[in-house]
Amino acid sequence: MRRIAMVVGLIVLSSPVVGAADDPKVAGACMTCHKEKSPGLYKQWFESEHAAHNVTCLSCHQAERGEADAFSHYDAIIATLVTPKDCGRCHPRPADEVGASYHATAGQILDSADAYLAHVAAGDPVAVLGCESCHGGKVEIDPKSPNRLARRSWPNSGIGRINPDGSLGSCNACHTRHGFSKAQARQPEACSKCHLGPDHPQKEVYEESKHGNTYYTNVDDMNLEADSWVVGVDYSEAPTCASCHMSATRTQGVTHDVGQRIAWTLRPPVSEHKESWQAKRANMQDVCTACHTRTFTDGHFHQFDASVRLYNEKFAEPATELMKIVRSKKLLENPASFSNKIEWTYWEIWHHEGRRARHGAAMMGPDYTWWHGFYDIAQHFYFKLLPEARELGDPDVDAYVDRILSSDPMHRWVREQTDDLKKQIRSGEMQRVYERFFEAGE
Amino acid sequence: MLRTYLDFIRAVAVDRLGRAGVILVTTSFITFVVMQAAILLGIVGNAYVGLIVYLLFPLLFVLGLALIPIAWMRRRRATGLTTRELLERRFGPDGVEADIAGSKVFRTVAVFTLANVLILGIASLMMLHFMDTAEFCGTACHSVMSPEWSTYQASPHARVACVECHVGEGVGALVNSKLNGAWQMVSAAFDLYERPIPTPVHQLRPARETCERCHWPEKFYGSRLISRVAFADDEASTPSYTTLNLKIDPGAAGAAGVHWHVDAGNQVRYASVRDERREMLWVEARQPDGSVRRWVNTRLTPDAGSGETGQRVMDCVDCHNRATHIYQRPDDAVDALIRLGAIDRSLPFIRREAVKALRGDYPSRDAAEAGIRAGLGAFYRRAYPDHLATWLDRIDAAADELVEVWARNVHPGMRVGWGAYPSFLGHRESPGCFRCHTRDLRDAEGGWISDDCTLCHSILAYGEAAPFAYLDPAVEGARNRPMHEYLRDEFLRSVEN
Repeated sequence: MRRIAMVVGLIVLSSPVVGAADDPKVAGACMTCHKEKSPGLYKQWFESEHAAHNVTCLSCHQAERGEADAFSHYDAIIATLVTPKDCGRCHPRPADEVGASYHATAGQILDSADAYLAHVAAGDPVAVLGCESCHGGKVEIDPKSPNRLARRSWPNSGIGRINPDGSLGSCNACHTRHGFSKAQARQPEACSKCHLGPDHPQKEVYEESKHGNTYYTNVDDMNLEADSWVVGVDYSEAPTCASCHMSATRTQGVTHDVGQRIAWTLRPPVSEHKESWQAKRANMQDVCTACHTRTFTDGHFHQFDASVRLYNEKFAEPATELMKIVRSKKLLENPASFSNKIEWTYWEIWHHEGRRARHGAAMMGPDYTWWHGFYDIAQHFYFKLLPEARELGDPDVDAYVDRILSSDPMHRWVREQTDDLKKQIRSGEMQRVYERFFEAGE
Repeated sequence: MLRTYLDFIRAVAVDRLGRAGVILVTTSFITFVVMQAAILLGIVGNAYVGLIVYLLFPLLFVLGLALIPIAWMRRRRATGLTTRELLERRFGPDGVEADIAGSKVFRTVAVFTLANVLILGIASLMMLHFMDTAEFCGTACHSVMSPEWSTYQASPHARVACVECHVGEGVGALVNSKLNGAWQMVSAAFDLYERPIPTPVHQLRPARETCERCHWPEKFYGSRLISRVAFADDEASTPSYTTLNLKIDPGAAGAAGVHWHVDAGNQVRYASVRDERREMLWVEARQPDGSVRRWVNTRLTPDAGSGETGQRVMDCVDCHNRATHIYQRPDDAVDALIRLGAIDRSLPFIRREAVKALRGDYPSRDAAEAGIRAGLGAFYRRAYPDHLATWLDRIDAAADELVEVWARNVHPGMRVGWGAYPSFLGHRESPGCFRCHTRDLRDAEGGWISDDCTLCHSILAYGEAAPFAYLDPAVEGARNRPMHEYLRDEFLRSVEN
């Protein structure tokens, strides 16, 4: 019954609402010229489901005179920018979900540490290309520009783009124009436009994981073009990013609110559970059970949660506390944020390797958990952060560092003998130090 | 008569040099007459024969004539005798004795001189006439002119002589062309010319004097239907059709076609970057009512050379810059050969392989011939070994055609490769029409010259499976239905107008 309702819903959603400005002859003139002048664009559209359902240039690009980005183009009033509001005319539910998602807020980054760093350490063009390309920028109007969009802010297909019509986001961030293929958006490459690199290597973790492994081996059997794409039913070889975070399961519909299946936020220096995280964890486990038994998935989350808590307590909290002392006592040479070496060290510990470690643990990427993750954290913690803190020559800082290294059972090893430590590992005494991380979530 | 002549020339040839002169004059004259007869009778027709007959023999004739008096002067100096004594010695007192009509010798010399002037006059005229033939222009400077000569021979103007467009009428044009020709001889001899040779559009006779003698703008041209077939790179070399109804008539106001630009009363002027006629600095159109509109390029980069070096009034060659010396693109050339049946489309992937073979980098015609044959052969041997024996003739025939196309379009010695001389007609090989019909050029109000597709042509098929796809009503559910209906409607309306 539920599936029938979904199918009916899909059919309703995919019947385009033909607006008054949708004179097919005008759209015909658009196609004539653009087939010649931008043949690739035309061909993408021609092969698309949109073309098959009589969704033409004007269905998406029509605009009303008076709209901020509307301009006259031959016989039509159009806008270059197509926003979630435009897409929402035919796809209202995804547009609403996107609007409510964490993705939609990605453009409001001007006050984040990341944006601050790009502006001071690099410069504005880098903020445009390096930050706003993924996060989304504020699209500004320039009446002198042929399409009324300021060149500094357009093109931009960032996921949290701030549009002149007040909407947030860009469907094109994942649904690449002008084909808007389902298959394309379901593939991991759609997400790895942004989710990759030293600070959030989701793409790399996925490639390393068993999931990515089987996906790339069996991509031809993934049934990616199917209208219905329910994990375990319509395909069963492997999950993609979309499978776990967005796509339909036997009990959940597809959602464009990507946070609905994520229990932890692994983004900040110290990881936190998200609001109603138990329900979100249950949503994710529901996805997993399309292919795994409950015992299997329980085991995975048991291991994952333990490593997140370990990260928090062993490294993130002490490092954050240490920086708090340093900052509150104004021990740094230069006043501006990021103008002192130790700040970069701390930043990389949580923002780079700290996320690598946690994402690796979340998505079954052993190398990212350890060598690209905890290994780097440990090295920078013991041999950069702590020595750089000691160099400040402050008694409170020194006392804090000494306390960590001599009394914390997780850090005490630094001052012990190798033979003794090996004995502790063999006897299981060392492992017992970390037992509480496994037990905490039970 | 013959006797008198023989006696005379024997007497005139005073020594070995004189005899050489006499022999040169006599033999070159006889050969000239015989060769001329052979040409007239059609026995010989080689372009090089013309070069020898009209250039070499008259030259030898004059040289021989000059040797005779030189020999006389040498003789006079050697013997110390006076002219009269010498004449008496050679011709006897009889010959030198003057009566009322002069001496015998004088009369003979006068007759021969007249004859020589006549012969030289005729030869000079024939020489000038020969220099006006396309064979002379195309083959006298063989390697330099070979790209233009080979494309000219395959062109729509193959029966219009070079000089009709490149020299023009009148004594001034003749003198000018001979002076130019003299410099070209020096350039060719001392290797002073550019490779490839820049298109001489700037020195071309005004189109009003040349093109318009045959193609006058007042003629009603109507519209012109052109149909192109492009074959795909797939196994079947699947054809797709593009059919355009070109609106070429000068037209009345409101329904003007492409030749509006040269219609009486209209004048289009422009200035281009470095006067290359490619990127416009500004364009002006004067309408019959005397009003002028001006569009200025708003997208010129400062280093594009935006200094104005000359203005020009638009005429035929601003668009028809390759009206005769038409170079093809390799894909177009192959499409044309397949369409003509000269290349057999039943050979799988023949379109793709033929274009690939043509695009090969060959240093000479021999290398091209070997490379094209080897390229095609290798593909079919590898991909279709079982069919090779039965297809061999078709593959060979295709290779023959491709070699001809290559040789016509590619001239490594002159550094003329594919695309060296793009056509400004349309917008396939260069921006063409869009040089002016572009939103880069704006008038004071921000307006631009329309770049609407249907301004210059209706479109009856655009890469479709049928040549007149859009004449029929659109099929329900067709993906390009709006375009189909728009173009059908536009064509029907344009025909009604």
